[in-house]
Amino acid sequence: MTSADHQATHDAVKHSQRHEGPQKHIIVFIFSIILTAIAFAAVIAGGVNTAFTVLFLLLMAIIQVLVQMGYWMHLKDRGHMMPIIFMIGGFFVAGTAIVTALYWVWW
Amino acid sequence: MSTTHAETVDGALPHEPEKATLEGRNKVLSFWLFLGGEAVLFGTLFATFLALRNQTNEGPTANELFSFTTTALATLILLVSSLTSVFAVQAMHRHNVAKLRVWLIVTVILGLGFLGLEIYEFSEYVIAEKFGMTTSAFSSAFYTLVGFHGAHVAFGVLWISVLIGQLFKKGLTVVTAPKVYVSAMYWHFIDVVWVFIFTVVYLLGKVG
Repeated sequence: MTSADHQATHDAVKHSQRHEGPQKHIIVFIFSIILTAIAFAAVIAGGVNTAFTVLFLLLMAIIQVLVQMGYWMHLKDRGHMMPIIFMIGGFFVAGTAIVTALYWVWW
Repeated sequence: MSTTHAETVDGALPHEPEKATLEGRNKVLSFWLFLGGEAVLFGTLFATFLALRNQTNEGPTANELFSFTTTALATLILLVSSLTSVFAVQAMHRHNVAKLRVWLIVTVILGLGFLGLEIYEFSEYVIAEKFGMTTSAFSSAFYTLVGFHGAHVAFGVLWISVLIGQLFKKGLTVVTAPKVYVSAMYWHFIDVVWVFIFTVVYLLGKVG
């Protein structure tokens, strides 16, 4: 390989590895702040029936967590099949424990 | 060429140094398995809390104790620290060790701020509100869940501080990069758990 070839491959590699900017992470941050503010506002305002508020708060939390795990923890990037399986497994057991505990105290 | 860089064929640190070696990739993958286990740990603590949160034993209730201001401030601090650890990893991908260290230091300072706020909050509950670990089933479940999260923050602060020291000593290499990446994942996970804590413990406590 000549020196010129080497330089060419090097440039090609450099090009394909262009760094992502901070923009999309700042958008995720602002999105998280907004979801949090909505959740706080819903509780402070009150008035609406409790069951609806509870479901609404949980929905806000789940959306925020999914977005943060997707972008900040890179779960949406390719090559993350096993991590996703690990996390779904963890959340499945966690969810089972929560449902069981609630079932046990409510009925 | 700087000797602090683990050399590839042409002597440069690869673009994503945390994934450059098999050991690095294995470290990242197995850390996800650990985080899956952490999800189970916190899931069971949430289950306990949800089951016992109304058993106040004539002690203070969630609605009497919690303040929106403290919760919002803690949430903001942790959310910003999660963003600064994203910036740390981005600086690492640009091989900018100086910036990487600065963002990690900012993350640690914010983590300490969160811990300080939580210690203040707990001490208010214990001293002013007479809400101790053994006051009620609600208080035990509350301190166990939120305290476990606080302990994770404390561990993260120690861990990242040690990593900052290592970055000063050894620089950014294919050995130190996976450690930084994995610690950032840990820090994001702590923030993710906090999202559920402020929702389920604090906001639901205010709803009733």
